[in-house]
Amino acid sequence: MEIGVQSKDIVYDENPAEGFEMMRCAGFSCCDFGLNAYLTNTQLYSYEVNDFFSKPVGELEKYFAAHKRGAKGAGIRICQMHMPYPVYIPGANEDMNRYLMRTVAPKSMDICAFFECPYIVVHGFKLARNLGTEEAEWEQTERFLESLVPIARERNITICMENIYTNIGSHLVEGPCCDVKKAVERIDHMNEKYGEEVLGFCFDTGHANLVGIDFEDFIVTLGKRLKVLHIHDNDGIRDLHQIPFTFTRSRENMSATDWEGFIKGLQRIGFDRVLCFETAPVLSAFPQKMKQDVLKFIAQTGNYFAGEIAARRTGEE
Amino acid sequence: MNIICTPAGIVGRENPRQGVLDIAAAEFGDILLDLSLYCTCTELENIEKENVDKESLIKVSEHPEKMHEIIQPFLEQCKKNGITTSVAYAPYLMWNTKRKDSREIMTRLSEVSIRTAAQSGCHYIVIRPLSAGIPKKDLWEANREYYLKLAETAKANDMMILLENQCKDIGGHLVRGVCSDARDASRWIDQLNSQAGEERFGFCMDVGGCSICGQNMYDFIMALGDRLKAVILRENDGCHDSALLPFTCAVQGRSQTDWLNLIRGLREIFFDGQLIMDIKDTAAAFSPVLHSGLLKMAKSVADYFQWQIEMEYVLKKYPVRVLFGAGNMCRNYMKCYGEKYPPLYTCDNNRKRWGERFCGLLVKEPTCLQKLEQNCAIVICNIYYREIEKQLKEMNIRNPIVYFNDEYMPSFYYDRLKRDWLLEDNDGDWRTE
Repeated sequence: MEIGVQSKDIVYDENPAEGFEMMRCAGFSCCDFGLNAYLTNTQLYSYEVNDFFSKPVGELEKYFAAHKRGAKGAGIRICQMHMPYPVYIPGANEDMNRYLMRTVAPKSMDICAFFECPYIVVHGFKLARNLGTEEAEWEQTERFLESLVPIARERNITICMENIYTNIGSHLVEGPCCDVKKAVERIDHMNEKYGEEVLGFCFDTGHANLVGIDFEDFIVTLGKRLKVLHIHDNDGIRDLHQIPFTFTRSRENMSATDWEGFIKGLQRIGFDRVLCFETAPVLSAFPQKMKQDVLKFIAQTGNYFAGEIAARRTGEE
Repeated sequence: MNIICTPAGIVGRENPRQGVLDIAAAEFGDILLDLSLYCTCTELENIEKENVDKESLIKVSEHPEKMHEIIQPFLEQCKKNGITTSVAYAPYLMWNTKRKDSREIMTRLSEVSIRTAAQSGCHYIVIRPLSAGIPKKDLWEANREYYLKLAETAKANDMMILLENQCKDIGGHLVRGVCSDARDASRWIDQLNSQAGEERFGFCMDVGGCSICGQNMYDFIMALGDRLKAVILRENDGCHDSALLPFTCAVQGRSQTDWLNLIRGLREIFFDGQLIMDIKDTAAAFSPVLHSGLLKMAKSVADYFQWQIEMEYVLKKYPVRVLFGAGNMCRNYMKCYGEKYPPLYTCDNNRKRWGERFCGLLVKEPTCLQKLEQNCAIVICNIYYREIEKQLKEMNIRNPIVYFNDEYMPSFYYDRLKRDWLLEDNDGDWRTE
């Protein structure tokens, strides 16, 4: 099993090779390349867009050529990418939503293909409260995904839906793709329709923890549909993207996140893909001088997971 | 719908008189028979521990046969104040229990609870599923045995057992526990009823538990359907297991509970069961001196929920209807209910609007209402309900009057999605944009 980490706060456009080298030195072999860094959710929720994705594909490829070279040079594989999100904003004007759905999304797929990356993570639309039901919300997300399927097929990319949250006041509650049984039906339905794996799933441990999801059940229900991971921890209240085992909430000082369920789930489905961390906030919180050490520790945590999953699998055999 | 008040935080175990009196004065007609107040989870956690203070109170866990005797002062006060007890809640273990040996004691206590509840006039009893010390793979089998054993006692006492959604404690973090997946819970109930040979089991939805686990309450309710017999209404901050008066746990002006999806779901299934108002922590935090006013407020909140939940049921009840009001509320009525429950017309006090067509309805002057058939309801689509109702009464109109409200609509009409969706437009190759 390989260990990966997101590119944010490690790989910079000025010298991408340096960042990938840092990943390699820390013990990673894979990278989750975040296209959301080029059009952030903070911007989007403020109804601001930039023209980064307006560039022709050739120009975008040229822009990312150094990143591709840097990753290759360091022996890092771009195992998964993250499309900018959200891709639909209920309060935004038509031009903005059209740009997100018709330009940003397909161009992200093109960049994904350029990196020879097999998986791109996409967030579903958050429309259940407006439309009344989660089913009506999914209908809209599905229409959007269907629009990307031709590129996915052409470029051999599997689009991965991620479990995300929404909010009621400051309380984070389940959002799109938190119902694993529905997710499985929908993935199967679309894949059957197209006769190939155009749709998969990205399990985000932090988002699952926020809404009290049973990790083991969720992962086991997903089975082989689980393609990529976003591994990170939080206090169960805010989306903090910290290192696993960070949070305790009782006097016994045991982890308040079900990492045991995570390991068991992955072991039970025979997961053999990348254990990828989405822990960028850790890097900005620690002193910059400690970045390499912190990255090493994250990689070691990944190795611990890999070791446990493998050992239990062997034990089972 | 039957509105019930929980006694926790209000009614004293030793001296229930004042608390029951306050509940009765707030016009609650029903109190939860909360047996967990007489056999607490702390007591259950510490059974057989030598160093526990041997206080004078009888321990129900040690003497279950005395349960009925212990609750007598409470029941007497209820009777004196004309309050019934339709639902009981059996003793339970805390979510972070360390006990692994719960099956025997819980079976014994639950059987006694069923008998006690029946003797007290209850029709339903909430009995939490077992989970402590049981491996995940054995949960169904262990609970199947447990509940079917209890079904015999329930049948003999004509009681319905309600399962309830639970949280599970992971290092102090409450996450989804047994029966928190409504589809799984529904399957359990169906199998239990099938094996019991009758409808002996139903479900009690704990809104607080759902909220802590950030669950989509609309989906939760829809999965349960008519298996849902009771709803425990309480608010919390989405993190701590507290029972606050709904709408009081607000941050930056917004409640932390998803009331919209709760009401949408309960309205859609035409919920007509037991609505249990649990304000234990709010009440405990308030001075007992203020309980009387607090309980009146709690009753108003419960009535508000009933009104919201029954909104569609009331529209459905009348074969014909007209609206009063030709503004936004009328528009929302037409968007969400206009097709299902079409009005004959609407009317408005603004004479400039008379004769106009609004959302497909003719706007008429209010005097037209005097010619209505008696079975035609007048649905007020304007926030000045009482003022309009008074106007109608003064016009000698005797038709049923219904207050419509658009705070919690089944959907917020969203036609702009259609405009935003340009993917299907035949305007060239969009990928080149």
